[in-house]
Amino acid sequence: MSEQRRSVSISGSGRLGGGEYQRVTISGSGRIDGDVTAEELRISGSGRVSGRTEVGQIAISGSGRFGGAVRADEMRVSGSAKIEGPLDAKEFKSSGSFHTEGDVAAEYFKSSGSFRVGGDVEADIFKASGGFDIEGLLSADKVEIRLAGRCTVREIGGERIHVERPESLGAALLGGLAKMLTGGGMAELRTTQIEGDEIHLENTIADVVRGTRVEIGPGCKIGTVEYTETLKVHDDAVVKERKKT
Amino acid sequence: MTDEKLISKKEVLEKMGISYGQLYRWKRKGLIPEIWFIRRSTFTGQETFFPQDKILERIERIKAMKEEHPLDDLAELITTHVNAKLRVALAKLERLGWLDDELLRTCCPDEVSDEAVSIWEAFVLGVLSRLRRAARDEEIGLVRKTLESERGGGLLDRVSENGLNLYLLRKRVTSGGISAQISLVALTEQGAVFDPEIEVVTTVDLPTVLQRIKLDLARSDETPDRDRDETPAGEDAADRESDEREVKR
Repeated sequence: MSEQRRSVSISGSGRLGGGEYQRVTISGSGRIDGDVTAEELRISGSGRVSGRTEVGQIAISGSGRFGGAVRADEMRVSGSAKIEGPLDAKEFKSSGSFHTEGDVAAEYFKSSGSFRVGGDVEADIFKASGGFDIEGLLSADKVEIRLAGRCTVREIGGERIHVERPESLGAALLGGLAKMLTGGGMAELRTTQIEGDEIHLENTIADVVRGTRVEIGPGCKIGTVEYTETLKVHDDAVVKERKKT
Repeated sequence: MTDEKLISKKEVLEKMGISYGQLYRWKRKGLIPEIWFIRRSTFTGQETFFPQDKILERIERIKAMKEEHPLDDLAELITTHVNAKLRVALAKLERLGWLDDELLRTCCPDEVSDEAVSIWEAFVLGVLSRLRRAARDEEIGLVRKTLESERGGGLLDRVSENGLNLYLLRKRVTSGGISAQISLVALTEQGAVFDPEIEVVTTVDLPTVLQRIKLDLARSDETPDRDRDETPAGEDAADRESDEREVKR
């Protein structure tokens, strides 16, 4: 660790062998063959890593593709990223779009763009304000979803789960934009099951909601709500069955 | 093996006085193995069930230990990956009743002079000690060989992830007035089925062995004096019970 590692920069078009680096910057089009370990990786053009990536800080403002697992302390995506393996980042923020085929694990996860995950998403704090598609389970202590597009996830579990449809003018415009982008999709959340201690939902379609204190807001269609302490249902919501247990 | 008694998630929360948040958090931290989450369709939709005894015991343990250890460290102590570099003092194994000179010689002849053995060797000793009463010498050798051949394949990790069992089996083959008995060793996930002519001599629940080692280590490192008293009597009793059951089979 103590020996001096090299820093490299690709600004035209270039290829780089895998290995250990201090800092890798790709501003043209670059490709790293094999596994890469570095303190910092910046892609502002188009970059591709064929193997595993283990980097302190990753910043992608162009397009990044990762052929294997990605591990980072901090990862920021403002362009687009595609990850074929699992993603493990302490702090993950995206305002662009990304797609991972494996699971995502993060302490802090925030996306204001759109994303797709082929596995589970696990985080301490999960915040999303765009559209997403999570094939597996979304589990976090705190889940905060601001609907601005179509969101689907197989299941959600956690302590505090808050889903809202922002109604401000700006958000309405954004929603309209998202509607255009997602091909007319509604700003809604679809899932089979939500389990948590404090749950607040809006515009959510779910088969089962189980929780301690549950609030079903406007625009929800819920099959069964099972609650242990309190349940509030908005007039503009449909709940087929309610059970206090 | 036989159908384990299942308990629903709701009942677990109620019985143990924990919240959804805690349960999901512990799952994320690897404190509760993925395979314990059993999904079943019920008339209200999907529900999750757990093997009752395992989950209750595990949550009891997490609740007891989380005061002293940060959650992230707990996972190391309670489940999943095994730190292969850890070493286990022979004295501790002796206390567990996993050790006598003979076993130690068959298991790790090079290390006899040492005062400590690796996790792997402690694991092998633990397995062999559970077999000793029921198995013949050559069968013990066979088990040892089976374990050793899987060592490189990350057996310890697989044990904690998949809940492997080790089966010691015998089958009698008779042909033309000559009868011979053959011994077999199988490493498989729980619930393996064998043909009715096979006698299951012993089953060893490998995760239990591994967990025992890790917990024993953890306790002893923290509080060398107290740990003996703190070993829950129930656990020992359960262990003895299972040993007896194994012998009867």
